Amino acid sequence: MKLSRYAFAAALCAAAMGFTAAKAESVVHVVIEPEPPLLMQGLAQNAPTNTIAGNIYEGLLRYNQKLEPQPSLAKSWEISDDGLTYVFHLQEGVKWHDGQPFTADDVVFSLDVFLREVHPRWRPITDNQIASVEAVDPLTVRIVLKQPFGPLMTALEVASAPMIPKHIYEGTDFRTNPANNTPIGTGPYKLQEWKKGSYIHLVRNTDYWLAGHPKIDEIYWQVIPDAAARAVAFETGTIDVLPAGSVDVYDVARLSALEGACMTTGGWEMASPIAWIAVNLREGPLSDKTFRQGLMHAIDRNFGQEVVWNGLGRVPTGPIASTTRFYDPAVNIYDFDPDKARELIAQSGYKGETIRLLKLPYGEIWDRWAEAVRQNLLDVGVNVELVSSDTAGWTQKTSDWDFDMTFNFLYQLGDPAIGVSRSYVSSNIAKGNPFGNVGGYSNPAVDALFAAASAEADEAVRQAKYSEVQKILTDELPVLWLLEMEQPTIYRCDIKDLVTTAIGVNDGFRDAWRE
Amino acid sequence: MIAFLKRFSRNPAAVVGLVILVLVVAFAILAPLLYPNSPWKPVQRPFLAPFAQAGFPMGTDTLGRDVAAGLVHGARVSLQIGVVSTIVALLIGVPLGAIAGYSGGWVDDLLMRFTEFFQTIPSFALAIVMVAILQPQLGSIILAIGVVSWPPVARLVRGEVLSLRSREYVQAAITIGQSTPRIIFSQILPNTIAPIIVIGSLMVGTAILLESSLSFLGLGDPNLMSWGYMVGAGRTRLLDSWWISFFPGIAIFLTVLALNLAGEGLNDALNPRLSRGRK
Amino acid sequence: MNLIMFLLGRVAKGVVVLMAIAILNFLLIHAAPGDPAQVMAGQGGAADEELLQQLRVQYGLDKPFLTQLGIYAGSYLQFDLGFSYRQQQSVLSLIMDRLPATLLLTGSAFVISLLVGTLMGMLAARRQGHWSDGAITTVSLMFYATPLFWIALMSQIIFSLKLGWLPNVGYETIGANLSGFARMLDIGRHLILPAMTLGLFFTAVYVRMMRASMLQVAGSDFVKTARAKGLSEGVILRHHIARNAILPVVTLAGLQAGQLVGGAVLTETVFAWPGIGRLMFDALTQRDYPILLGVFFISSALVIGFNILTELVYRIVDPRIGAQG
Repeated sequence: MKLSRYAFAAALCAAAMGFTAAKAESVVHVVIEPEPPLLMQGLAQNAPTNTIAGNIYEGLLRYNQKLEPQPSLAKSWEISDDGLTYVFHLQEGVKWHDGQPFTADDVVFSLDVFLREVHPRWRPITDNQIASVEAVDPLTVRIVLKQPFGPLMTALEVASAPMIPKHIYEGTDFRTNPANNTPIGTGPYKLQEWKKGSYIHLVRNTDYWLAGHPKIDEIYWQVIPDAAARAVAFETGTIDVLPAGSVDVYDVARLSALEGACMTTGGWEMASPIAWIAVNLREGPLSDKTFRQGLMHAIDRNFGQEVVWNGLGRVPTGPIASTTRFYDPAVNIYDFDPDKARELIAQSGYKGETIRLLKLPYGEIWDRWAEAVRQNLLDVGVNVELVSSDTAGWTQKTSDWDFDMTFNFLYQLGDPAIGVSRSYVSSNIAKGNPFGNVGGYSNPAVDALFAAASAEADEAVRQAKYSEVQKILTDELPVLWLLEMEQPTIYRCDIKDLVTTAIGVNDGFRDAWRE
Repeated sequence: MIAFLKRFSRNPAAVVGLVILVLVVAFAILAPLLYPNSPWKPVQRPFLAPFAQAGFPMGTDTLGRDVAAGLVHGARVSLQIGVVSTIVALLIGVPLGAIAGYSGGWVDDLLMRFTEFFQTIPSFALAIVMVAILQPQLGSIILAIGVVSWPPVARLVRGEVLSLRSREYVQAAITIGQSTPRIIFSQILPNTIAPIIVIGSLMVGTAILLESSLSFLGLGDPNLMSWGYMVGAGRTRLLDSWWISFFPGIAIFLTVLALNLAGEGLNDALNPRLSRGRK
Repeated sequence: MNLIMFLLGRVAKGVVVLMAIAILNFLLIHAAPGDPAQVMAGQGGAADEELLQQLRVQYGLDKPFLTQLGIYAGSYLQFDLGFSYRQQQSVLSLIMDRLPATLLLTGSAFVISLLVGTLMGMLAARRQGHWSDGAITTVSLMFYATPLFWIALMSQIIFSLKLGWLPNVGYETIGANLSGFARMLDIGRHLILPAMTLGLFFTAVYVRMMRASMLQVAGSDFVKTARAKGLSEGVILRHHIARNAILPVVTLAGLQAGQLVGGAVLTETVFAWPGIGRLMFDALTQRDYPILLGVFFISSALVIGFNILTELVYRIVDPRIGAQG
């Protein structure tokens, strides 16, 4: 076997030599799937764009795995005692990839003009919380808030608020600016080439402001659409890093056990996604709390975690992930108990109406999960029919409330005020957004608690309010929480310091190096 | 009829094909008796190898569902999709071809342009788009497969009708003033049945394969366990749990093979003159 | 002269069919549920009505349906396939980037299957009833009747993972920076598995077709005449049987060419081959209409081109056709 491999290599001597030469500089091959539509991170925030562009662009802050703010483009910061004024001091000598200096004007332009117009998560923060953003001097920025908003300090990572070059975008139509295809950031890597359908090639930014970084010369992000083929590509050495979700969960154990392969579930602290089934509360049996409680008892969530996800993740107790701040375990707990489920369902007066369960079109594992949940529900006499759709169909059906139940997962984004409340507050009931309050849950007490907790500076008071919200929500079950997802990144062990931040691979290549 | 059976039975491959087909149909019909439980229900621990546990000759899949149960129930779904979508294709293709062949002239020209039109659009791509648009459900899958597979039928029937039309007995019927529909239905179509059955048997196999491809791309009906679904769902486990996709793969292979063998045998038996001739 | 008139006529017809296809595609695709603006906005993790409206204006989706159709048809008449806002690039350049890969893949698969298929078919027909006939027929049926993606994955496991002979994904070794002959070799190595996989299915079809066609021709009167004239079996096989038997295969091949373009979606998916089949599928799931329509248009144009070519070949192989028609 080995012999024939070498024989073949010898026959293709020229090709083989070229290959070895390229490997001599440090090169890393990473899977990217699906191929991102765009790398301009201000305009596109889908997962693959973030994974790559977080190494091209930078935010004011980075976060360690405990979600504590770390210097990035901001070297240091001060927060006034009343919690209303934030002053950021910028790094010196930072240059955009085109050689122009990065200054406080760029920060003001990014936060106050560019992202305010185009970034769906930044916009509500500027519109509702921020009174002004101004450049004090070329290296100092001052942000003044309308009211205290503690979560601001967790909202400044590269995907939530990337810094955009003012000299390229000012006065242009942001979405059609031709520069969108040649992203210019301040980050450790520059875009060298993008061969559509094949790979994205990043090279080291030799003028990077942090001396001695980055250490890896080139990164190739390879587009490989099929999960089984990705696993083979890692095993045969074509690929060095498999970001979370690249391979079938059953392959995670097998691939991590290969010689020279390592696995980590770190690097997802910022996202800490919780998967759930959103429920359309507007009409029918699902509008009844008792019925939903019955469903929660009927779904074998441990089976989901142990079998479907092959042991990855944890069964959640409520809306706030146990890995993030303000989590409170003292809530209503739902065990897997089909008998109790039948009882509650009978009590609710359910008459066998068909309930449509919309699958999430993100690959085999979500299909298996939907099948398992449907079987659980059929077992207690709930008539469930699966609906499948592609990404576009799922987005539209979920955004336009055209579902009875739909799978979804949402990032927690470091603070309940940013990542959690959006799914439960009544002000976020609006068509067009699959990550809003799609089920139509409305409870004035919950609205008030979330609002008060967000505007409160005292952590203990915030905790009390979030604890109360968690109790109410676990009783009323506006969504059925299934899993606190754990996301495995598989990589070659000779790549060091790849995952050191709360967003992992997404900005990990700044500090990574290869032995 | 007797002569036909004799000729058919002289072809051993065709007989084997027929036997396999009968078995598959029997499994499909008897599925609820053999495996009364839903094939979706997890019944054992996951990834159980074949024969590792009594009663699970084909093992279990990623969720601990019985592969054998899935295979038997899948026979129903796959055959249903194969047969119904073929009927859809025939319902479009036969009348179109017959009208084109019988009428000739501009009608023929127009209908054949229309057929060409459908042959020009890449058919698999068209099927994908149709299923995605109509949402993946049994109905849309059958319709999409039917819509992309009728053109060869139309061409075949047109050719047959064209040659039959010039035969003496048809000419005689025209002379004695029989109505056109009557001539088509009583004189012409019955004589085209043989090639239609042959092409139909081949199309059932193609349809089963097409459904499996759609399923692989995530465009199968999520509520129905077809063989295509099983192969697609098990494909990432080929290395460590080969049985999950191997058995349904073999089932597809055997069925398509049987349909082809039987179809060819049928062809030879129905056309003794052109024995072992055209496809 | 006759040939030129024929060509002109066919091209004119082709253009009409192509326009009709373009319009049909437009109608079909716009019937799809799913709003491109929503898909784009939704990926940001949040979206509001203002943002959606901005995107719709940008995509031209705020205009009435007929106006959209008019703009589309108008630009196609000027050979402008539109602009993908999602990817911020013109559709034509996106397709042209990917087309060579697809043509290389499908072209090789086509040539392999046609060559191997006709040869094997001839062999099987010559040895009718012999064990080799049975073997060829069975093996070709096996490839025909097994799902393509399953063969594709098996071949990756065997030839890439277990034997380590061939790469399992991609078009070339990424990052190798090869050029000239070395690069060609490298691409060739990557091409083997996908082209074989795609080719096998069609090989099976051609084997069956060629075998049947050979047997039919062998039984016809003019072959009997030739034999009666005392011509050698070799001459009869080459000049009489094979030459006539190949005609239906050529017709089928012209039709199959179209299937190859569409059927490459699966092969391109499994082997991460950067062709237009994959471009189309991604565009479909993202509702990137301009790309989707562009790919349909270009592949239909290719099919029409192939068909005209086939008819041309047909006329050259069999001069009687020209006289008749």
